[in-house]
Order: sequence, then structure tokens, then C-alpha cells
Amino acid sequence: MAKVVVVTSGKGGVGKTTSTAALGAALAQSGKRVVVIDFDVGLRNLDLVLGAERRVVFDLINVTQGVAKLSQALIRDKRIEQLYLLPASQTRDKDALTEEGVGQVIAELRTKFDYIICDSPAGIERGAQLAMRFADEAVVVTNPEVSSVRDSDRIIGLLDSRTLRAEQGETVRKYILITRFDAARASRGEMLGIDDMLDILSTPLLGIIPESEGVLRASNVGCPVTLNEPANPAARAYSDAARRLLGEDIPMALPVDRRGLFDRLFGRRAA
Amino acid sequence: MSAAAPVQKKAIRFRARSFVAFALTPELPLSGWLRGIDKWLGNSPGFFVGRPVVLNLNALPLPAGEVGELVAELAARGIRVFAIEGESLELGLDLPPLLKGAKSTVIEESADEPGKESADESPAPSRTAEALIIDTPIRSGQSVFHPQGDVVILGSVGSGSEVMAGGSIHIYGTLRGRAFAGALGSDNARIFCRRNEAELLAINGWYRAPDDMEPSTRGRPIQAFLQDGRISVVVLD
Amino acid sequence: MSLFDLFKKRGSAPVARERLQVLLAYERTSRQKPDLVLMLQEEIMAVIARHVHIDQDDVRVSIDRGDTVSTLEIDIQLPNGDSMALAS
Repeated sequence: MAKVVVVTSGKGGVGKTTSTAALGAALAQSGKRVVVIDFDVGLRNLDLVLGAERRVVFDLINVTQGVAKLSQALIRDKRIEQLYLLPASQTRDKDALTEEGVGQVIAELRTKFDYIICDSPAGIERGAQLAMRFADEAVVVTNPEVSSVRDSDRIIGLLDSRTLRAEQGETVRKYILITRFDAARASRGEMLGIDDMLDILSTPLLGIIPESEGVLRASNVGCPVTLNEPANPAARAYSDAARRLLGEDIPMALPVDRRGLFDRLFGRRAA
Repeated sequence: MSAAAPVQKKAIRFRARSFVAFALTPELPLSGWLRGIDKWLGNSPGFFVGRPVVLNLNALPLPAGEVGELVAELAARGIRVFAIEGESLELGLDLPPLLKGAKSTVIEESADEPGKESADESPAPSRTAEALIIDTPIRSGQSVFHPQGDVVILGSVGSGSEVMAGGSIHIYGTLRGRAFAGALGSDNARIFCRRNEAELLAINGWYRAPDDMEPSTRGRPIQAFLQDGRISVVVLD
Repeated sequence: MSLFDLFKKRGSAPVARERLQVLLAYERTSRQKPDLVLMLQEEIMAVIARHVHIDQDDVRVSIDRGDTVSTLEIDIQLPNGDSMALAS
């Protein structure tokens, strides 16, 4: 049974696209057939993070408008053969993306893939609503920061009311993915604590991704971090999170402050 | 000679609708009262957006020019006055119309969610209080409006959301949003919550914002009720 | 930290810079005028369609844009079973 997973947040810049790429790659590496879809109309990003920016021919709107077939628009990842990308359109016309069109694309993708991961744009307007509309599950990406938590709460409310599942009386299974977690700041009490976030959001935790330069390097070179630097703490956290999505019960590893005493005294940061 | 065609008479139907409006009652000095409004707006920006507001000048007869200024001051703050209450006011045509005979009232017709039409042939309004019980958390941006009675929330109420009840509000969780009890004229209504981090507590029009709540009541289980014309917030032990 | 690590650590930013230069050069020009590669593809398709009836399903297009050279690959399955790869 294919699963549609939306990666959303409300707040911008928290790591949705990075997380979509990392989770998609990790799931594909574990043997699943995965397609990641960029729902940001006008500001294409997922292709860049996956290093496919030079190979984009057709996009989601081309497919919904019948200009191209799905098979022509899908871009296969050169490194992970089970991973495909459906890029976003660079048109400025947000109304070009229709619910009916998206519904048909998702229905067709369900016959070909195990996981369909929808990278939502920021906000709660049309693109974000369409990204979540057909979701079976949702990963709500949240930074340990008050406005991110507030926006995530809002998005969770929408997941429970504006999705097809919600309208049919079913639930979208939701998870919180905490990103940009800085263990040093948290231990100094400068960052919102994990328990506080989970208490406020009342939603199960998928994973805690530590702040890491490996994530930046990965998007610089256009390769998902789980593939670029698998041993990196963020990469490992994403891999664990992907396994939890698959239903495995993996104990949550709290990122620790790995700096030595010297670094702590003089304020330097480790990767 | 042709007969003139009979003139069709079209009946114009007047329909009366009553609905609840928020009444603002200014007090002198106006500058101080406006500062109070600014403070409210600072805590709850956009509170008045889409809410019909009546300006109650029954206790404050102002000359027409000053009424105009006051309406303009409120408009500048995003508060649109759609009618003015006042016994002996002479208002020009450019001001909102004068409302006569307004009553404080407890409305019995149901008005659950915005967008839901109330049934035309609804059964006779029942006087028994009906509690609304919600067993999921209230998320930021959501709004609960239950004029018929109490509201019970089994969960927390998120920041940026609001719960409005005709009766009392009972929150078995943390209140981080806004709660309005006794919203249709009941002074006896109370607000209970397991942990007070409220953005606003209001009972029948009286309100308290976080700034003027005693710090000892923040983060604690509390009940809020009207006493001597102001809201008392008391820690429950 | 060896010299090699130093180079490795400096490696990703220049890669990013190059990718962005290529991509943005393409995106800036394509905002003003239609994409040459896509236009070629449409016109080639139209020419073929004049001679042979083909289904959109039988056509695979892939593009690799470089900074000086872009490669367009069109793969077409012709009705009598022969497949003809067109590279230009």
C-alpha cells in the first residue's frame, strides 16, 4: 500500500526541503520505491538540494495540465535508483495548481511507488494546503523556537481539518521532526526544550536532527546528507527517523553536547 | 383606448435579524480609555477584525464632532463601529447610525461555527445548558464558539486560539490562548484551567491580560470569576 | 587536521558556487526568452509527428544543462517496434 507523506511546517526555513530529501533518500536506500514532489509553485528548491537542477524538463504543473506525462516529468536520481523527483513549476501563477490535477497525479503515483513524499512550501496558503490534501501521514518539521512551534501547532490543526482524510473522518498520522537542535544551547537553557515542545504540540516525535554543517555541505554539492556523509550525526538521525516512519521502534538518541571541555570554555563548536 | 397594464406591486420584505455585537463603552478621559484599547490590541492584535462593534455612549453624551473623532480614532485602530448607542445624540449622516433600544441579551438561537446557517425551523430554543466537550487539544488559529453553555476541553488550548462560551470554560490542560466565558451576558461564568499561560481571560466583557495578572497565578491551576466588577484570578490548590 | 582535510572542507562551497552560476545563468536568460532546448524538443517532435504517428508515452526526453554546452536526449519508440535514439 503506497503511503503519501507530507513534510510541512507552517514556518519557513526550518528544514522541510532538506528533510524531504534526506528522508526520501534514506527510505529509497532501504529498498522502497520513493518519489519526492516539490509543491512550491514559483520557487523550486527540491531539485537543487538533490542536485538535479540541470535535468529538469517538465514539472508538476506541466503534468496536471496535460502538457507532459508523469513518466516524462519524473527525474530519476543518478545515485539512488529507487529515488525519483517530480519538480515544482517556476511559473508565478499559483492558481495553475489545481486540487483535481494534484489528485490525479497522486493517484497515478500510488500505483508506481511505495512512498510519495510531498515537500510543502511555507505558509498555510494554497501550495501548503494542496501538499497536505492527500496525505496519509505528516512530518511536521519544527525548530526549537517559539514561532516555529506556534506555526507547527497551526499546521497540525489544519492537518486535522483540511485534509481529505480529516473530511472523511479518518486521521492523518502526524509526527514532529525537530531540526536544528543545538545541544550546547539547550544545555545552557537558551533553546526551547524538547519536552516543552512535545508538551505544547501533543504529537509523537519522529526524530531530533542536530544542527550540523554536514547538512549545508550536502546541499552545496546537491546530494542528500544521508548519502553524502552517512556517519554525520544529522545523517544518522535522519536515517533513524526514516526507519521510524517505516514502523521500526528505535530508541530516541538525544544529541549530546560533544564538545570537549576546552571547546566549551572557549566557545567553539564541533560539527 | 387600451387599458393600462395593471401595475405589479412587489412587496418589499423587511426581515429583522438580531445578532450579538460587542459594545465598547468609552470612559473619560478618552485618551486613557484609548490607551486601554491599545493595550488590549497589543495583546490580541486583530481581535476586532470582522467583529461588529457598537459604541455605547449612553453614559457619555458627546458633541457630534467629538463622536466623529472617536469613531475615526477607533477606525485607525482597525475597529469599525457600525452603530452608536446613545439617548440624546444628534449624529450627522457620515457617522454610523444611532441605535435605539439595544438590550443586553442572552441569545438563544444557535450560532455554532461561522459559515453554518442556523436552522430556519429550529426547535424551540432550550433553556437547559448544554455543555460542549472536546477531547482533543485546540490548535493555534482554531476558534470554538458555544453560546449554549459550558465548554470542556480535555487537552490544552494553543497560543493564538480562542474558546468562547455562553457558560463556563473548563480546560483540563494548559490554557495558552484566549478564553471568553459568559460571552452572552452571564456574570456567573467562570474559567478553569490546569495551567495558566493565557493570552487573555474574559468574562462577560471584563477582561484581564497577562500583564495585569499576578505573576503568582501564571503557570498554576487557576479559576477566574467576576467579583466586584473585576476578574479575580485565584490559584486552585 | 591534514592538508587533505583542509581541501576537503573547502570543497563544498566552490561546488555550490559553480552549480549556482550555471543554474542562475540559465534561469535568468530563460525568464526573458523561451527555453531553447525545450523549443528544439517541441519542434523535433512536430517534425517526427509529420512522418510517423507517435504517442507522447513513447517519447523520453532528458536534458543535461552545462555552462557552455547542454545535451538534449530524445528517445522515441517508433510504431513498428524499432527504437531510434536521437541525440543533438
